[in-house]
Amino acid sequence: MAPCKTAISNGERKISKNDDRKEGKVVTRLRSLLRKVTCVSVLAWSLSAWAADSPLELIRSTTERSMAVLQDPANQGADHHQARIDKVREILLPQFDSLEIAKRTLGPYWRERTEEQKKEFTDLFTRLVEKTYSGTLDRYNPDVKFFFDQERIEEDFAEVDTRILDPAQNKTFSVSYRLHRVGGKWLIYDIVAENVSLVRNYRNQFNRILSKSSYEDLVQTIQSKLKELSAPSSAASSASSSASSS
Amino acid sequence: MITKLLVAIVIGTLGYGVTVQPVLAQTGAIQHEETEHAPPYDPWEPFNQGMFTFNLQLDKYALRPVATGYAWLLPDAARRSVGRFFKNLGVVERFANNLFQAKFPGAGQEVGRFVLNTTLGGVGFFDVADIWFDMKESPEDFGQTLAVYGVSSGPYLVLPFFGPSTVRDTVGLAVDSAMNPMNYFLSTLQVFAISGGLTVGSAINYRSLNLQFFEDVDRYAVDLYGAVQDGYLQRREKDIQE
Repeated sequence: MAPCKTAISNGERKISKNDDRKEGKVVTRLRSLLRKVTCVSVLAWSLSAWAADSPLELIRSTTERSMAVLQDPANQGADHHQARIDKVREILLPQFDSLEIAKRTLGPYWRERTEEQKKEFTDLFTRLVEKTYSGTLDRYNPDVKFFFDQERIEEDFAEVDTRILDPAQNKTFSVSYRLHRVGGKWLIYDIVAENVSLVRNYRNQFNRILSKSSYEDLVQTIQSKLKELSAPSSAASSASSSASSS
Repeated sequence: MITKLLVAIVIGTLGYGVTVQPVLAQTGAIQHEETEHAPPYDPWEPFNQGMFTFNLQLDKYALRPVATGYAWLLPDAARRSVGRFFKNLGVVERFANNLFQAKFPGAGQEVGRFVLNTTLGGVGFFDVADIWFDMKESPEDFGQTLAVYGVSSGPYLVLPFFGPSTVRDTVGLAVDSAMNPMNYFLSTLQVFAISGGLTVGSAINYRSLNLQFFEDVDRYAVDLYGAVQDGYLQRREKDIQE
């Protein structure tokens, strides 16, 4: 409220100095209008600033922007498959902290990596995640409803709980996002789908490979997985044949 | 039969006698430490790997083809109804375990749900208790009850046919099936045949409703054993918290 008051008193002083009584009424109305405008704009500005800062609003706007891309008739059809994926990636990627995610999925093995390996692994894992979501984008159902239930913030960490209602299955899925604040911006570092943290799930998979074999072997396993996922997914037979051949 | 009854009574009295310390739901704390979770305790991994492979083969050659055919025969909504019918039959275990964990409203809900869904809901095919009376299910099993009383999960254990579990949850499964009221009316052989049939039926139905999910896990996992293991353990942790 403080900025509102100072704005009004400043305005009052300036106007009343060069004023005579005849124009008093008009000025009063003008003044009250000015006051309202100032108040509303200050409020709107602070609201939008707060909204941008809120992890829940970030998740909501990111979801809505992605859905808008998928619903846009210009992006429909098999011809626009890649364009659709690219557009959604442009929206999603800046909201994720890829380095933090890669670090967490390697767990204790992250520290043993060289800077070069850390970069290599971050790129590799980001590509794996991209392949995973782009495979599911094509199954997107426009009737799906999103509920952005609540956010919890503890200093620089936050968790946003959402639900996805699929009317076709008459089923609700819980999806929570874990974020942390880096340089004033909230970034996602984990997604918890139906109570399963994806970072923790990948960490278990990777740690099993790392504890038995080597980092090089893990990289190779992920690379062959990527190759397998790049095979056309529409034909189930080709996917399974490539899986058996690899 | 008498031994089963005794076991049920002993467990029942234990449930009443022991001072109850319900696990508090952790709603406030955000888990953000990466080192919070030690890797799963899996000393029997070679055995588990074997069972995991066995189950995968069983799924590939029997369960999945049958479930796919069944899904083709029966529409989605009908199969969800069948799922509710199977779930409705498990009322005794859920009621008892709600009591053991001192979740008295939950126990009441379960009884109410059973009565309403068995009658108005046509022997359980429709969940009218939820739709009309907003009575939510309170799914508790004996594995969770043990956890609430401080029994740790023990080693990870992959069971043939039943899939991922732990030693604690396997004991829980055995106790829950011993609680089935059929045990007091029918011979062991009859119980075995009926509960076996129901288990197979419910497995086929469940599998048919999750064809895409299983395929996705298989497709996107880098290490399938690790993905399924962690998925099971994380979900159980959450079930116990709730």
